[in-house]
Amino acid sequence: MSRPPHATSRVTRPGRAVWLGLLATASALAVSGCAGGAIAASTPASNGQSFVSGSPGTTLYQAGHGPAVPAVSGPLVGGGRLSLAADRGHVVVLNFWGSWCTPCREEAPSLAQLARQYGGSGVRFLGIDIRDSPASAEAFMSDFRISYPSLNDPSDNLALDFRDTVPPAGIPTTLVISRSGRIAARVIGSVTYDGLKSLIQRAVAEPG
Amino acid sequence: MAVNQGLSHLSDHFLMITLVLYFLAVLAFAADFAFGKRSSAEPAEAAVPELVTAGAAGAGTAGATAGPAAGPAQASAADLGGAKASGGTGRPAAASRPSLRDASLWVRAGLGLTVLGVIAHIAGVVIRGLAVHRVPWGDMYEFVIAVTCVAVLFFLGLMFRYRPYRLGLFFMAPIVIIIGLAQTVIYTPAGPLVPALNSYWLAIHVTAITLATGTYVVAAVLAVVYLFADRHTRRVAAGLPVRNGEVFRLLPSPERLDQFAYRTVVFAFPLWTFGIMAGAIWADEAWGRYWGWDPTETWAFITWVVYACFLHARVTAGWRGRRAAYIQLVGFGCLLFNLLGVSLFITGLHSYAGLS
Amino acid sequence: MTETSRMTETGAAAAEAGQQAAAPPEPTPPPPGPAYGVLGWLRWGWRQLTSMRTALILLFLLAVASVPGSLLPQQGIDPAAVQQYYASHPGLAPWLARLSLFNVFAAPWFAAIYLLLFLSLAGCVVPRAYRLARSARALPPPAPRNVARMPQSVRHQTGQDAAAALAAATAVLRRRKFRLRTGDGWVSAEKGYRRELGNLLFHLALLGLLGAVALGGLFGYKANRLLVSGTSFANTVTALDEFHPGRLVSSADLQPFTITLNRFAASYVRSGQLRGQPTSFNAYLSYSAQPGAANQRYDLRVNHPLNVDGVKVYLIGHGYAPVFKVTDGTGKVVYDQPVPFIAVNTSGLTSEGVVKVPDAKPDQLGFAGVFLPTAVDTGGTLESVFPAPLNPRVSLISYKGNLGMNSGPSQSVYALNTAGLTELPVAPRPLAPGQSIKLPGGAGTLTFTGYRQWASLAITYDPGQLPALIAGLAALAGLLLSFFIRRRRMFVRAYPGPGDRTVVDVGGLARSDPAGGFDEEFSRLAEEFRVAYAGETSEGKTD
Repeated sequence: MSRPPHATSRVTRPGRAVWLGLLATASALAVSGCAGGAIAASTPASNGQSFVSGSPGTTLYQAGHGPAVPAVSGPLVGGGRLSLAADRGHVVVLNFWGSWCTPCREEAPSLAQLARQYGGSGVRFLGIDIRDSPASAEAFMSDFRISYPSLNDPSDNLALDFRDTVPPAGIPTTLVISRSGRIAARVIGSVTYDGLKSLIQRAVAEPG
Repeated sequence: MAVNQGLSHLSDHFLMITLVLYFLAVLAFAADFAFGKRSSAEPAEAAVPELVTAGAAGAGTAGATAGPAAGPAQASAADLGGAKASGGTGRPAAASRPSLRDASLWVRAGLGLTVLGVIAHIAGVVIRGLAVHRVPWGDMYEFVIAVTCVAVLFFLGLMFRYRPYRLGLFFMAPIVIIIGLAQTVIYTPAGPLVPALNSYWLAIHVTAITLATGTYVVAAVLAVVYLFADRHTRRVAAGLPVRNGEVFRLLPSPERLDQFAYRTVVFAFPLWTFGIMAGAIWADEAWGRYWGWDPTETWAFITWVVYACFLHARVTAGWRGRRAAYIQLVGFGCLLFNLLGVSLFITGLHSYAGLS
Repeated sequence: MTETSRMTETGAAAAEAGQQAAAPPEPTPPPPGPAYGVLGWLRWGWRQLTSMRTALILLFLLAVASVPGSLLPQQGIDPAAVQQYYASHPGLAPWLARLSLFNVFAAPWFAAIYLLLFLSLAGCVVPRAYRLARSARALPPPAPRNVARMPQSVRHQTGQDAAAALAAATAVLRRRKFRLRTGDGWVSAEKGYRRELGNLLFHLALLGLLGAVALGGLFGYKANRLLVSGTSFANTVTALDEFHPGRLVSSADLQPFTITLNRFAASYVRSGQLRGQPTSFNAYLSYSAQPGAANQRYDLRVNHPLNVDGVKVYLIGHGYAPVFKVTDGTGKVVYDQPVPFIAVNTSGLTSEGVVKVPDAKPDQLGFAGVFLPTAVDTGGTLESVFPAPLNPRVSLISYKGNLGMNSGPSQSVYALNTAGLTELPVAPRPLAPGQSIKLPGGAGTLTFTGYRQWASLAITYDPGQLPALIAGLAALAGLLLSFFIRRRRMFVRAYPGPGDRTVVDVGGLARSDPAGGFDEEFSRLAEEFRVAYAGETSEGKTD
């Protein structure tokens, strides 16, 4: 460890600056995220909430370039079975929901209204109900006057089916699927009436 | 398997006997200071040259300081005659290592009582283990008893190898106090482990921590005695008035004490490191992550860092001696807080004190 | 080099000035040296950073910085405790939060300390490793003139001649695997190079450990899920209660296993002083690693995690989930499922929970209360005295109105927002399984149909775990090597002495000897030499 050759008083002030500079650089690095490590926590604990809401946002896919929707089928709330393949050739709005989830309840009237509006013109609506008992699911659907069917997914099999394509990162998640069976748009978080309407129109307008 | 109450009570009896024997040993060591031989078999070690530890200044300085001490050491080697014919073995302390026969009656009594006490101590620990069908360090009480057992065993090892007999009082007195507190304040009856502790890792992690802690206790006592001895030596060198001069004359030199303390920490540090690692592996098995900044984990880390500071300080000029000893004692304080304070005052995943 | 020459220049100048002036010489101010320049300052700063003293200070700072992380409640470990701290220290808490004291180990200033420390470490260790590699074959230094001045030394006399004596000593040293260097009348030997290797291994392993931790933090994730017995879940983001991904983890990276909790069993000490203490927890699972793979069974216990597809699943908690069936005012069954209740005391596992029925007609219904596994009337109040369900009872307060779930922020499923609710005047009565509350005004009925148990699982994926273990073991190995191997040198000089005898000076030096014991090794070696050339000791010196 060598010392500069002249009087110490002249040396310490610049020396301290070098120190502060190093400290600042390291702090900046840490803040900017290069710190990494399991020590740097990511999302905060959910404070007892029993679901994970993903970061909200809309993702649009170019016509014909979106991921292909997997072949989902299963039992319906209220009995019977349905397969998504049956809706091939139609624009499909697929909504992941739960009766216990506040944002899902918030968007339910918009979905119900849009379903009534577009039902005649061949746009199909389908729900996938997460972590609900049949009684709560039916009560929800009758409460919000949801006319379209919902698949029951108590064991997350359907959610698993989607993991390779566009994973529903938290609920509510809504997928707009084009006629060719490719996903045209994904919304994480509750949809608004206008927002979903424009997405449906965009998918309907797609050629082929 | 049910707890064997009979064996549990037997263990408690043995530990009572241990406490009594240690207490008598303390009295014997104290009596040695009061009534024992004034002239010790150990010559004045004030001029013991500092053995090369690390970052040696080189053969030159070591040789220079060796000069004056070579005289008396040579003389004593010659005095011992042909005892060590291979020539010039060991240090002056070894050449002048008092044999047990030369020690005063009080010292011999104290050591004998300590040996008997540690036998009873080991018996108490083992029987408690038999009573609960597992390794006998599963709660705070058992842990403290095991740590003191390790400390006394280490102390006895030190005694018989290096013969600093007069340190007996300073070791055993705190041990007696700790065991006394353990028996009264933190005693818990023998019982099965909570499911979280029911793993073979208990034997590995807590055993390593127990061994390391017992050794750190010895190092801390040495550091305290060193600080007092060093202060005494400085005051004598500066011509200041001193108290209890006879006591310090009978103890090993500050350099020797410092060296013992350093070597003890060198022994304990890898054990502590291993204990933390074993704890991390066990935490991963039990709680799903190998490090979660749980208060006990954090304080174990702090303790490790401070002892690492101590080891680094020893090789840094200007930080040897008193400053290093202070760092070591800070580390010991962190250790105590880690093992006792966190369990008693902070709730975390490690709260197995067994106290309600 | 230049510094010293400049020093001597000024010294000479000062001496001249002192000679010439009659008056007491004025102290000459030190002349200003050349400006260091940016590169010079950076280099100076770097040398300061990588010095041992700086490492000591940073090490100590790291320990000090960890202290508040253990004394204050931390957001990542116990968010409920953090909320409590806010409640009890309303003035102090926001300031502590600004300093990141509720999240110390993720704080930027904490990261700055350990980053600087590891920078200092790397800057010191890497060049030393390089130097070690280069000097791996370097020879020991030549023997000093006066071997007798070594800290350990002994003098022998032997009848053999100098060359033979040296050859004998050399043979002994070679047998003992010393690295040798011979010269005219002397031999020099050194051993213990592995100490430096151990030292460097330890410090490099620490760097590796940091890398492993970073690996886990970037690519790993932690998640939690509470699973009621008889239900199952798959490892997708929608199915998890908590999800903490590493920085580079997306929801598509989750391994697609499915777990079903078939049954949960807990056993407790039934009698004696430790009555009520748990003795075992068993979560009987079925799992499949991929959709479509065969189902396998596993008995999940504490300290006995499930390893599926590289992910570890741990049992971290348990509790009771009473099952409720709610019929609304129109007679329709609008709710029929188990509700997890959370234990508020560990001795009897008294658990609290809420039931929310947002789709009941004509009004939304809410219920809040306790579940008591072994309910006993203790002087008017009901308490649970044992954690097993020997006498299960549920006691609820009923509400109707607006639960606040149709809009606004998300609510916790364990808390009821009573702001928009009115309490219903129902006669308080603890329910046994099968019993019901009939709500006044035709609002509906709630039936306590039974109870199940739940287990909470922690799901962790940490690709840095194995590297961290390897780094830890390497660090331990390096530590042991550096502590218990001593770097020592032996020197032997043989020259003719009085009479026809040859004098052999043997000297030894331990360059670093933390664990002690070199003196014994020296005396053993010296004795071996003596035997090898059949000499006698004429002088000995030890310290």
